[in-house]
Amino acid sequence: MWQLIREIQKNRELIWALALKELQVRYKRSALGFLWALLNPLLMMIILTMVFSTVMRVPVHDYPIFLISTLLPWTFFSQSLAYSVESIVSNGDLLKKVYVAKSVFPLAAIVSNLINFLLSMIPLILLLVVFRFPFYWTWLYLLIPFVSLVLFTLGCGFFFAMVNVFFRDMAHILQILLQAWFYFCPIIYSLDFVPARYRPLFRLNPLAYPLNGFRLAIYYGQLPSWQSMGMSLACGVGALLLGYKLFQRSQDTLVFYV
Amino acid sequence: MSNFDAVESIERICFQGVVQRFRLIQERPDTLREAFAHLFRKQVSYHDFEALKGISFVIREGETVAIIGRNGSGKSTILKIIAGVYRPTTGVVKVSGKVAALIELGAGFHPDLTGRENIVLNGLLLGLTKEDIRSREQQILDFAELGEFIDSPVKQYSSGMFARLGFAIATEVDPDVLLIDEILAVGDAAFQEKCLAKIDDFRNMGKTIVFVSHAPDSVRRLCNRALFIHDGTLYADGRTDDVLANYESILRQTVSA
Repeated sequence: MWQLIREIQKNRELIWALALKELQVRYKRSALGFLWALLNPLLMMIILTMVFSTVMRVPVHDYPIFLISTLLPWTFFSQSLAYSVESIVSNGDLLKKVYVAKSVFPLAAIVSNLINFLLSMIPLILLLVVFRFPFYWTWLYLLIPFVSLVLFTLGCGFFFAMVNVFFRDMAHILQILLQAWFYFCPIIYSLDFVPARYRPLFRLNPLAYPLNGFRLAIYYGQLPSWQSMGMSLACGVGALLLGYKLFQRSQDTLVFYV
Repeated sequence: MSNFDAVESIERICFQGVVQRFRLIQERPDTLREAFAHLFRKQVSYHDFEALKGISFVIREGETVAIIGRNGSGKSTILKIIAGVYRPTTGVVKVSGKVAALIELGAGFHPDLTGRENIVLNGLLLGLTKEDIRSREQQILDFAELGEFIDSPVKQYSSGMFARLGFAIATEVDPDVLLIDEILAVGDAAFQEKCLAKIDDFRNMGKTIVFVSHAPDSVRRLCNRALFIHDGTLYADGRTDDVLANYESILRQTVSA
Protein backbone atom coordinates (compact mmCIF):
# COMPACT_ATOMS: atom_id res chain seq x y z
CA MET A 1 0.00 0.00 0.00
CA TRP A 2 2.80 2.40 0.90
CA GLN A 3 4.37 1.33 -2.34
CA LEU A 4 1.31 2.60 -4.22
CA ILE A 5 1.26 5.92 -2.38
CA ARG A 6 4.96 6.37 -3.12
CA GLU A 7 4.43 5.58 -6.79
CA ILE A 8 1.58 8.06 -7.04
CA GLN A 9 3.61 10.70 -5.27
CA LYS A 10 6.59 10.13 -7.54
CA ASN A 11 4.63 10.03 -10.79
CA ARG A 12 1.87 12.50 -10.02
CA GLU A 13 2.84 14.85 -12.83
CA LEU A 14 2.94 12.00 -15.33
CA ILE A 15 -0.40 10.55 -14.18
CA TRP A 16 -1.99 13.97 -14.42
CA ALA A 17 -0.54 14.59 -17.88
CA LEU A 18 -1.70 11.17 -19.12
CA ALA A 19 -5.19 11.76 -17.73
CA LEU A 20 -5.41 15.16 -19.39
CA LYS A 21 -4.09 13.64 -22.61
CA GLU A 22 -6.90 11.11 -22.48
CA LEU A 23 -9.48 13.91 -22.22
CA GLN A 24 -7.68 16.09 -24.71
CA VAL A 25 -7.64 13.33 -27.31
CA ARG A 26 -11.28 12.51 -26.60
CA TYR A 27 -12.44 16.05 -27.26
CA LYS A 28 -9.82 17.24 -29.69
CA ARG A 29 -11.05 18.36 -33.10
CA SER A 30 -14.69 18.49 -31.98
CA ALA A 31 -16.09 21.99 -32.43
CA LEU A 32 -17.30 22.24 -28.83
CA GLY A 33 -14.20 20.62 -27.39
CA PHE A 34 -14.08 20.31 -23.63
CA LEU A 35 -17.65 21.62 -23.34
CA TRP A 36 -18.75 18.07 -24.19
CA ALA A 37 -17.69 16.96 -20.74
CA LEU A 38 -20.55 19.13 -19.43
CA LEU A 39 -22.95 18.78 -22.35
CA ASN A 40 -22.87 15.03 -22.44
CA PRO A 41 -24.24 14.43 -18.91
CA LEU A 42 -26.57 17.43 -19.28
CA LEU A 43 -28.17 16.05 -22.42
CA MET A 44 -28.38 12.60 -20.89
CA MET A 45 -30.20 14.09 -17.89
CA ILE A 46 -32.60 16.00 -20.12
CA ILE A 47 -33.47 12.83 -22.01
CA LEU A 48 -33.96 10.84 -18.81
CA THR A 49 -36.12 13.59 -17.34
CA MET A 50 -38.30 13.76 -20.42
CA VAL A 51 -38.70 10.01 -20.57
CA PHE A 52 -39.52 9.52 -16.92
CA SER A 53 -41.78 12.53 -16.43
CA THR A 54 -43.92 12.05 -19.54
CA VAL A 55 -43.54 8.73 -21.32
CA MET A 56 -42.91 6.36 -18.46
CA ARG A 57 -44.21 7.48 -15.09
CA VAL A 58 -42.62 5.83 -12.12
CA PRO A 59 -44.37 6.11 -8.74
CA VAL A 60 -41.34 7.76 -7.15
CA HIS A 61 -41.39 11.51 -6.74
CA ASP A 62 -38.73 13.35 -8.74
CA TYR A 63 -37.60 10.07 -10.25
CA PRO A 64 -34.98 11.68 -12.56
CA ILE A 65 -33.09 12.95 -9.53
CA PHE A 66 -33.56 9.64 -7.75
CA LEU A 67 -32.01 7.94 -10.78
CA ILE A 68 -29.26 10.41 -11.62
CA SER A 69 -27.96 10.59 -8.04
CA THR A 70 -26.69 7.01 -8.47
CA LEU A 71 -26.34 6.91 -12.22
CA LEU A 72 -23.50 9.47 -12.25
CA PRO A 73 -21.29 7.58 -9.77
CA TRP A 74 -22.10 4.35 -11.61
CA THR A 75 -21.07 5.91 -14.92
CA PHE A 76 -17.78 6.94 -13.34
CA PHE A 77 -17.22 3.38 -12.14
CA SER A 78 -18.11 1.63 -15.39
CA GLN A 79 -16.28 4.08 -17.65
CA SER A 80 -13.19 3.90 -15.45
CA LEU A 81 -13.12 0.14 -15.74
CA ALA A 82 -13.75 0.22 -19.48
CA TYR A 83 -10.71 2.49 -19.83
CA SER A 84 -8.42 0.82 -17.36
CA VAL A 85 -8.97 -2.73 -18.61
CA GLU A 86 -7.22 -1.76 -21.85
CA SER A 87 -4.77 0.67 -20.28
CA ILE A 88 -1.79 -1.69 -19.92
CA VAL A 89 -2.33 -3.62 -23.14
CA SER A 90 -2.77 -0.51 -25.27
CA ASN A 91 0.47 0.94 -23.89
CA GLY A 92 2.31 -2.33 -24.39
CA ASP A 93 4.55 -0.98 -27.12
CA LEU A 94 5.71 1.77 -24.85
CA LEU A 95 6.25 -0.53 -21.87
CA LYS A 96 8.53 -2.70 -23.99
CA LYS A 97 10.79 0.23 -24.76
CA VAL A 98 10.88 2.55 -21.80
CA TYR A 99 10.85 1.83 -18.11
CA VAL A 100 7.72 3.38 -16.63
CA ALA A 101 5.92 2.45 -13.43
CA LYS A 102 3.10 0.28 -14.75
CA SER A 103 0.55 1.59 -12.28
CA VAL A 104 0.44 5.02 -13.96
CA PHE A 105 -1.72 3.73 -16.82
CA PRO A 106 -4.73 2.42 -14.87
CA LEU A 107 -4.34 5.39 -12.52
CA ALA A 108 -4.44 7.87 -15.39
CA ALA A 109 -7.48 6.12 -16.91
CA ILE A 110 -9.33 6.49 -13.64
CA VAL A 111 -8.22 10.07 -12.99
CA SER A 112 -9.47 11.16 -16.42
CA ASN A 113 -12.89 9.68 -15.63
CA LEU A 114 -12.77 11.24 -12.21
CA ILE A 115 -12.45 14.65 -13.83
CA ASN A 116 -15.46 13.84 -16.02
CA PHE A 117 -17.38 12.68 -12.97
CA LEU A 118 -16.69 15.86 -11.04
CA LEU A 119 -17.65 17.97 -14.05
CA SER A 120 -20.92 16.05 -14.38
CA MET A 121 -21.89 17.30 -10.92
CA ILE A 122 -22.37 20.76 -12.45
CA PRO A 123 -25.30 19.76 -14.68
CA LEU A 124 -26.71 17.79 -11.73
CA ILE A 125 -26.73 20.95 -9.61
CA LEU A 126 -28.36 22.76 -12.51
CA LEU A 127 -31.03 20.09 -12.66
CA LEU A 128 -31.72 20.43 -8.93
CA VAL A 129 -32.11 24.18 -9.34
CA VAL A 130 -34.49 23.79 -12.30
CA PHE A 131 -36.58 21.22 -10.39
CA ARG A 132 -36.50 23.43 -7.26
CA PHE A 133 -35.23 20.38 -5.46
CA PRO A 134 -33.76 21.15 -2.02
CA PHE A 135 -30.01 20.97 -1.36
CA TYR A 136 -29.68 18.95 1.80
CA TRP A 137 -26.88 19.55 4.25
CA THR A 138 -26.07 15.86 3.78
CA TRP A 139 -24.19 16.85 0.60
CA LEU A 140 -21.30 17.40 2.99
CA TYR A 141 -21.35 13.72 3.74
CA LEU A 142 -20.83 12.81 0.06
CA LEU A 143 -17.10 12.68 0.74
CA ILE A 144 -17.42 9.22 2.31
CA PRO A 145 -19.25 7.44 -0.53
CA PHE A 146 -17.04 9.36 -2.94
CA VAL A 147 -13.79 8.18 -1.37
CA SER A 148 -15.13 4.63 -1.04
CA LEU A 149 -16.17 4.58 -4.67
CA VAL A 150 -12.82 5.89 -5.90
CA LEU A 151 -10.90 3.33 -3.81
CA PHE A 152 -13.14 0.52 -5.02
CA THR A 153 -12.76 1.64 -8.63
CA LEU A 154 -8.97 1.79 -8.29
CA GLY A 155 -8.88 -1.74 -6.91
CA CYS A 156 -11.06 -3.10 -9.71
CA GLY A 157 -9.15 -1.05 -12.29
CA PHE A 158 -5.80 -2.57 -11.24
CA PHE A 159 -7.33 -6.02 -11.24
CA PHE A 160 -8.89 -5.87 -14.70
CA ALA A 161 -5.94 -4.06 -16.29
CA MET A 162 -3.61 -6.81 -15.12
CA VAL A 163 -5.81 -9.81 -15.86
CA ASN A 164 -6.44 -8.50 -19.37
CA VAL A 165 -2.71 -8.72 -20.10
CA PHE A 166 -2.76 -12.47 -19.55
CA PHE A 167 -6.30 -13.20 -20.74
CA ARG A 168 -7.48 -10.87 -23.46
CA ASP A 169 -11.00 -12.23 -23.03
CA MET A 170 -11.26 -10.12 -19.90
CA ALA A 171 -12.14 -6.96 -21.82
CA HIS A 172 -15.13 -8.74 -23.36
CA ILE A 173 -16.17 -10.43 -20.15
CA LEU A 174 -16.02 -7.06 -18.41
CA GLN A 175 -18.54 -5.54 -20.83
CA ILE A 176 -21.11 -8.20 -20.02
CA LEU A 177 -20.22 -8.14 -16.35
CA LEU A 178 -20.82 -4.39 -16.18
CA GLN A 179 -24.22 -4.77 -17.82
CA ALA A 180 -25.29 -7.38 -15.31
CA TRP A 181 -23.77 -5.41 -12.45
CA PHE A 182 -25.73 -2.32 -13.45
CA TYR A 183 -29.05 -4.09 -12.83
CA PHE A 184 -27.74 -5.74 -9.69
CA CYS A 185 -26.99 -2.28 -8.24
CA PRO A 186 -29.67 -0.04 -6.72
CA ILE A 187 -29.58 2.50 -9.56
CA ILE A 188 -32.89 2.39 -11.44
CA TYR A 189 -34.56 1.01 -8.30
CA SER A 190 -33.86 1.20 -4.62
CA LEU A 191 -33.28 -1.69 -2.25
CA ASP A 192 -36.72 -1.13 -0.71
CA PHE A 193 -38.30 -2.29 -3.98
CA VAL A 194 -36.59 -5.65 -3.68
CA PRO A 195 -38.63 -8.40 -1.96
CA ALA A 196 -37.38 -8.78 1.59
CA ARG A 197 -36.16 -12.33 1.18
CA TYR A 198 -33.84 -11.38 -1.70
CA ARG A 199 -32.45 -8.32 0.01
CA PRO A 200 -29.53 -10.10 1.75
CA LEU A 201 -28.33 -11.17 -1.68
CA PHE A 202 -28.22 -7.57 -2.84
CA ARG A 203 -26.27 -6.62 0.26
CA LEU A 204 -23.41 -8.78 -1.00
CA ASN A 205 -22.81 -6.22 -3.71
CA PRO A 206 -19.93 -4.03 -2.52
CA LEU A 207 -20.96 -1.24 -4.90
CA ALA A 208 -24.42 -0.99 -3.36
CA TYR A 209 -23.03 0.77 -0.27
CA PRO A 210 -21.36 3.81 -1.85
CA LEU A 211 -24.13 4.15 -4.47
CA ASN A 212 -26.73 4.11 -1.74
CA GLY A 213 -24.69 6.72 0.11
CA PHE A 214 -24.89 9.04 -2.90
CA ARG A 215 -28.64 8.61 -3.18
CA LEU A 216 -29.33 9.09 0.52
CA ALA A 217 -27.29 12.29 0.65
CA ILE A 218 -28.52 13.88 -2.58
CA TYR A 219 -32.09 12.61 -2.92
CA TYR A 220 -33.32 11.74 0.57
CA GLY A 221 -31.23 14.16 2.58
CA GLN A 222 -30.42 11.40 5.05
CA LEU A 223 -27.31 9.88 6.49
CA PRO A 224 -26.76 6.15 6.07
CA SER A 225 -26.23 3.99 9.12
CA TRP A 226 -22.76 3.70 10.60
CA GLN A 227 -22.61 0.08 9.46
CA SER A 228 -23.35 1.09 5.91
CA MET A 229 -20.67 3.82 5.92
CA GLY A 230 -18.20 1.38 7.44
CA MET A 231 -19.03 -1.29 4.88
CA SER A 232 -18.68 1.22 2.08
CA LEU A 233 -15.19 2.29 3.16
CA ALA A 234 -14.14 -1.26 4.02
CA CYS A 235 -15.13 -2.52 0.58
CA GLY A 236 -13.19 0.31 -1.03
CA VAL A 237 -10.02 -0.30 0.97
CA GLY A 238 -10.34 -4.07 0.62
CA ALA A 239 -10.75 -3.91 -3.13
CA LEU A 240 -7.76 -1.62 -3.50
CA LEU A 241 -5.54 -3.81 -1.33
CA LEU A 242 -6.46 -6.95 -3.24
CA GLY A 243 -6.39 -5.37 -6.69
CA TYR A 244 -3.07 -3.64 -6.17
CA LYS A 245 -1.50 -6.71 -4.58
CA LEU A 246 -2.28 -8.74 -7.67
CA PHE A 247 -1.09 -5.94 -9.91
CA GLN A 248 2.19 -5.66 -8.06
CA ARG A 249 2.80 -9.39 -8.19
CA SER A 250 2.68 -9.48 -11.97
CA GLN A 251 4.07 -6.11 -12.93
CA ASP A 252 7.59 -7.41 -13.57
CA THR A 253 6.51 -10.18 -15.90
CA LEU A 254 3.72 -8.46 -17.81
CA VAL A 255 6.14 -6.85 -20.25
CA PHE A 256 6.71 -10.29 -21.79
CA TYR A 257 3.01 -10.71 -22.50
CA VAL A 258 1.75 -7.36 -23.75
CA MET B 1 40.21 7.95 -22.60
CA SER B 2 41.45 4.38 -22.47
CA ASN B 3 40.18 1.44 -20.54
CA PHE B 4 42.96 1.67 -18.07
CA ASP B 5 42.19 5.20 -16.91
CA ALA B 6 38.63 4.17 -16.26
CA VAL B 7 39.54 1.42 -13.84
CA GLU B 8 39.64 3.91 -10.96
CA SER B 9 36.14 5.21 -11.59
CA ILE B 10 32.92 3.79 -10.22
CA GLU B 11 30.96 0.89 -11.66
CA ARG B 12 27.94 2.09 -13.59
CA ILE B 13 26.66 -1.21 -14.91
CA CYS B 14 27.38 -4.63 -13.52
CA PHE B 15 25.99 -7.90 -14.94
CA GLN B 16 26.64 -11.16 -13.08
CA GLY B 17 25.55 -14.38 -14.73
CA VAL B 18 22.51 -12.78 -16.32
CA VAL B 19 20.08 -15.20 -17.93
CA GLN B 20 17.03 -13.97 -19.79
CA ARG B 21 14.49 -16.54 -20.78
CA PHE B 22 11.47 -15.84 -22.94
CA ARG B 23 8.48 -18.01 -23.48
CA LEU B 24 7.85 -17.93 -27.18
CA ILE B 25 4.70 -15.97 -27.60
CA GLN B 26 2.69 -17.95 -30.12
CA GLU B 27 2.79 -20.96 -27.82
CA ARG B 28 1.09 -19.17 -24.98
CA PRO B 29 -2.66 -19.48 -24.54
CA ASP B 30 -3.83 -15.98 -25.33
CA THR B 31 -7.49 -16.51 -24.66
CA LEU B 32 -9.56 -18.60 -22.32
CA ARG B 33 -10.53 -20.83 -25.22
CA GLU B 34 -6.91 -21.73 -25.85
CA ALA B 35 -6.31 -22.16 -22.15
CA PHE B 36 -9.15 -24.66 -22.01
CA ALA B 37 -7.88 -26.37 -25.13
CA HIS B 38 -4.52 -26.78 -23.42
CA LEU B 39 -6.17 -28.15 -20.32
CA PHE B 40 -7.92 -30.86 -22.26
CA ARG B 41 -5.14 -31.77 -24.62
CA LYS B 42 -2.65 -31.87 -21.78
CA GLN B 43 0.26 -31.44 -24.11
CA VAL B 44 2.82 -28.88 -23.12
CA SER B 45 3.48 -27.09 -26.35
CA TYR B 46 5.39 -24.01 -25.25
CA HIS B 47 9.10 -23.84 -25.22
CA ASP B 48 11.48 -21.44 -23.59
CA PHE B 49 14.03 -19.49 -25.48
CA GLU B 50 17.16 -18.28 -23.77
CA ALA B 51 18.08 -14.90 -25.19
CA LEU B 52 20.96 -14.48 -22.74
CA LYS B 53 22.77 -17.52 -21.36
CA GLY B 54 24.66 -16.17 -18.39
CA ILE B 55 26.42 -12.93 -19.21
CA SER B 56 28.80 -11.07 -16.93
CA PHE B 57 30.56 -7.77 -17.48
CA VAL B 58 31.25 -4.47 -15.78
CA ILE B 59 31.03 -1.04 -17.38
CA ARG B 60 32.61 1.83 -15.50
CA GLU B 61 31.88 5.50 -15.51
CA GLY B 62 33.14 7.33 -18.58
CA GLU B 63 33.39 4.27 -20.79
CA THR B 64 31.84 4.18 -24.23
CA VAL B 65 31.10 0.55 -25.00
CA ALA B 66 29.73 -0.96 -28.18
CA ILE B 67 27.68 -4.13 -28.19
CA ILE B 68 27.98 -5.97 -31.47
CA GLY B 69 26.62 -9.22 -32.75
CA ARG B 70 24.27 -10.62 -35.32
CA ASN B 71 20.51 -10.12 -35.36
CA GLY B 72 18.84 -12.00 -32.55
CA SER B 73 22.06 -12.52 -30.61
CA GLY B 74 20.72 -10.71 -27.54
CA LYS B 75 22.12 -7.19 -27.90
CA SER B 76 18.85 -5.35 -27.52
CA THR B 77 17.86 -7.59 -24.64
CA ILE B 78 20.94 -6.40 -22.78
CA LEU B 79 19.98 -2.77 -23.34
CA LYS B 80 16.44 -3.41 -22.17
CA ILE B 81 17.70 -5.04 -19.00
CA ILE B 82 19.95 -2.06 -18.32
CA ALA B 83 17.01 0.27 -18.95
CA GLY B 84 14.88 -1.68 -16.47
CA VAL B 85 12.32 -2.75 -19.06
CA TYR B 86 13.09 -6.44 -18.52
CA ARG B 87 13.88 -8.05 -15.25
CA PRO B 88 16.31 -10.92 -15.87
CA THR B 89 15.21 -14.48 -15.17
CA THR B 90 18.30 -15.15 -13.04
CA GLY B 91 21.49 -13.30 -12.29
CA VAL B 92 22.29 -9.96 -10.74
CA VAL B 93 22.15 -6.60 -12.45
CA LYS B 94 23.31 -3.40 -10.81
CA VAL B 95 22.91 -0.06 -12.52
CA SER B 96 23.79 3.17 -10.77
CA GLY B 97 22.73 6.61 -11.91
CA LYS B 98 20.07 7.87 -14.21
CA VAL B 99 19.59 5.91 -17.42
CA ALA B 100 18.24 7.30 -20.67
CA ALA B 101 17.42 4.91 -23.47
CA LEU B 102 17.48 5.93 -27.09
CA ILE B 103 16.01 2.56 -27.89
CA GLU B 104 13.18 3.57 -30.11
CA LEU B 105 12.85 7.27 -30.69
CA GLY B 106 9.45 8.69 -30.13
CA ALA B 107 8.07 5.63 -28.32
CA GLY B 108 5.18 7.07 -26.37
CA PHE B 109 4.40 9.91 -28.73
CA HIS B 110 0.69 10.30 -29.11
CA PRO B 111 -0.15 10.77 -32.81
CA ASP B 112 -2.96 13.26 -32.20
CA LEU B 113 -0.98 15.59 -29.95
CA THR B 114 1.25 18.30 -31.32
CA GLY B 115 5.02 18.17 -31.11
CA ARG B 116 4.98 20.68 -28.29
CA GLU B 117 2.41 18.69 -26.29
CA ASN B 118 4.37 15.51 -26.89
CA ILE B 119 7.53 17.12 -25.54
CA VAL B 120 5.83 17.48 -22.17
CA LEU B 121 4.25 14.03 -22.17
CA ASN B 122 7.36 12.24 -23.43
CA GLY B 123 9.61 14.15 -21.05
CA LEU B 124 7.45 13.05 -18.12
CA LEU B 125 7.49 9.45 -19.36
CA LEU B 126 11.27 9.55 -19.45
CA GLY B 127 11.35 10.73 -15.86
CA LEU B 128 11.75 14.49 -16.16
CA THR B 129 9.65 16.85 -14.08
CA LYS B 130 7.42 19.55 -15.59
CA GLU B 131 9.89 22.09 -14.26
CA ASP B 132 12.82 20.40 -16.06
CA ILE B 133 10.89 20.26 -19.29
CA ARG B 134 9.93 23.91 -19.20
CA SER B 135 13.51 24.98 -18.69
CA ARG B 136 14.80 22.73 -21.47
CA GLU B 137 12.07 23.25 -24.01
CA GLN B 138 14.06 25.78 -25.99
CA GLN B 139 17.05 23.45 -26.32
CA ILE B 140 14.78 20.66 -27.47
CA LEU B 141 13.17 22.91 -30.07
CA ASP B 142 16.56 24.10 -31.27
CA PHE B 143 17.89 20.60 -31.69
CA ALA B 144 14.79 19.19 -33.36
CA GLU B 145 14.58 22.02 -35.93
CA LEU B 146 10.94 21.40 -36.70
CA GLY B 147 9.98 25.00 -37.41
CA GLU B 148 6.25 25.53 -37.60
CA PHE B 149 5.61 21.78 -37.49
CA ILE B 150 6.12 21.86 -33.74
CA ASP B 151 2.46 22.89 -33.34
CA SER B 152 1.08 20.21 -35.69
CA PRO B 153 0.01 16.73 -34.58
CA VAL B 154 2.97 14.36 -34.79
CA LYS B 155 1.02 11.95 -37.01
CA GLN B 156 1.75 14.41 -39.81
CA TYR B 157 5.51 14.22 -39.24
CA SER B 158 7.92 12.40 -41.49
CA SER B 159 9.87 9.60 -39.85
CA GLY B 160 12.96 11.80 -39.81
CA MET B 161 11.13 14.59 -37.98
CA PHE B 162 9.75 12.05 -35.54
CA ALA B 163 13.23 10.75 -34.80
CA ARG B 164 14.69 14.26 -34.43
CA LEU B 165 12.12 15.22 -31.84
CA GLY B 166 12.52 11.90 -30.02
CA PHE B 167 16.29 12.23 -29.92
CA ALA B 168 16.10 15.84 -28.77
CA ILE B 169 13.85 14.95 -25.83
CA ALA B 170 15.70 11.81 -24.79
CA THR B 171 19.09 13.49 -24.67
CA GLU B 172 17.72 16.29 -22.48
CA VAL B 173 17.08 13.75 -19.72
CA ASP B 174 20.69 14.44 -18.70
CA PRO B 175 21.53 10.82 -17.97
CA ASP B 176 24.54 9.25 -16.32
CA VAL B 177 24.15 6.27 -18.61
CA LEU B 178 23.05 6.68 -22.22
CA LEU B 179 21.81 3.64 -24.12
CA ILE B 180 21.71 3.86 -27.90
CA ASP B 181 20.18 1.19 -30.11
CA GLU B 182 20.74 1.57 -33.85
CA ILE B 183 18.86 4.80 -33.96
CA LEU B 184 21.32 6.39 -36.30
CA ALA B 185 19.80 4.43 -39.15
CA VAL B 186 16.94 6.93 -39.40
CA GLY B 187 17.23 10.51 -40.52
CA ASP B 188 19.38 12.14 -43.15
CA ALA B 189 23.14 12.54 -43.09
CA ALA B 190 22.95 15.96 -41.45
CA PHE B 191 20.84 14.59 -38.61
CA GLN B 192 23.16 11.61 -38.14
CA GLU B 193 26.12 13.95 -37.93
CA LYS B 194 24.26 16.04 -35.37
CA CYS B 195 23.45 12.98 -33.29
CA LEU B 196 27.05 11.78 -33.39
CA ALA B 197 28.19 15.24 -32.31
CA LYS B 198 25.73 15.15 -29.41
CA ILE B 199 26.96 11.70 -28.41
CA ASP B 200 30.52 13.05 -28.54
CA ASP B 201 29.44 15.81 -26.15
CA PHE B 202 28.17 13.20 -23.73
CA ARG B 203 31.43 11.31 -24.00
CA ASN B 204 33.45 14.42 -23.33
CA MET B 205 31.35 15.09 -20.25
CA GLY B 206 32.48 11.69 -18.97
CA LYS B 207 29.09 10.01 -19.24
CA THR B 208 28.77 6.27 -19.74
CA ILE B 209 27.48 5.21 -23.13
CA VAL B 210 26.38 1.79 -24.33
CA PHE B 211 25.97 1.64 -28.06
CA VAL B 212 24.38 -1.09 -30.16
CA SER B 213 25.13 -0.89 -33.85
CA HIS B 214 25.76 -2.83 -37.01
CA ALA B 215 27.82 -0.06 -38.52
CA PRO B 216 31.53 -0.74 -37.84
CA ASP B 217 32.41 2.85 -38.73
CA SER B 218 30.24 4.42 -36.03
CA VAL B 219 31.44 1.82 -33.54
CA ARG B 220 35.09 2.59 -34.33
CA ARG B 221 34.48 6.29 -34.13
CA LEU B 222 32.63 6.29 -30.81
CA CYS B 223 33.80 3.34 -28.74
CA ASN B 224 37.08 2.23 -27.27
CA ARG B 225 35.69 -1.04 -26.00
CA ALA B 226 33.36 -3.55 -27.54
CA LEU B 227 31.39 -6.55 -26.32
CA PHE B 228 30.71 -9.23 -28.90
CA ILE B 229 27.52 -11.13 -28.12
CA HIS B 230 27.07 -14.42 -29.92
CA ASP B 231 24.09 -16.73 -29.33
CA GLY B 232 23.36 -15.17 -25.97
CA THR B 233 26.89 -15.50 -24.63
CA LEU B 234 29.67 -12.97 -24.29
CA TYR B 235 32.05 -14.14 -27.00
CA ALA B 236 34.64 -11.41 -26.77
CA ASP B 237 35.27 -8.32 -24.69
CA GLY B 238 38.10 -5.96 -25.38
CA ARG B 239 39.45 -3.14 -27.55
CA THR B 240 37.12 -2.18 -30.36
CA ASP B 241 39.50 -3.05 -33.19
CA ASP B 242 40.32 -6.51 -31.88
CA VAL B 243 36.71 -7.39 -31.17
CA LEU B 244 35.52 -6.05 -34.52
CA ALA B 245 38.15 -8.15 -36.31
CA ASN B 246 36.99 -11.18 -34.34
CA TYR B 247 33.37 -10.42 -35.19
CA GLU B 248 34.07 -9.99 -38.87
CA SER B 249 35.94 -13.27 -39.07
CA ILE B 250 33.04 -15.11 -37.40
CA LEU B 251 30.66 -13.40 -39.77
CA ARG B 252 32.72 -14.55 -42.77
CA GLN B 253 32.87 -18.11 -41.43
CA THR B 254 29.10 -18.40 -41.12
CA VAL B 255 28.53 -16.86 -44.50
CA SER B 256 30.89 -19.30 -46.21
CA ALA B 257 29.67 -22.30 -44.18
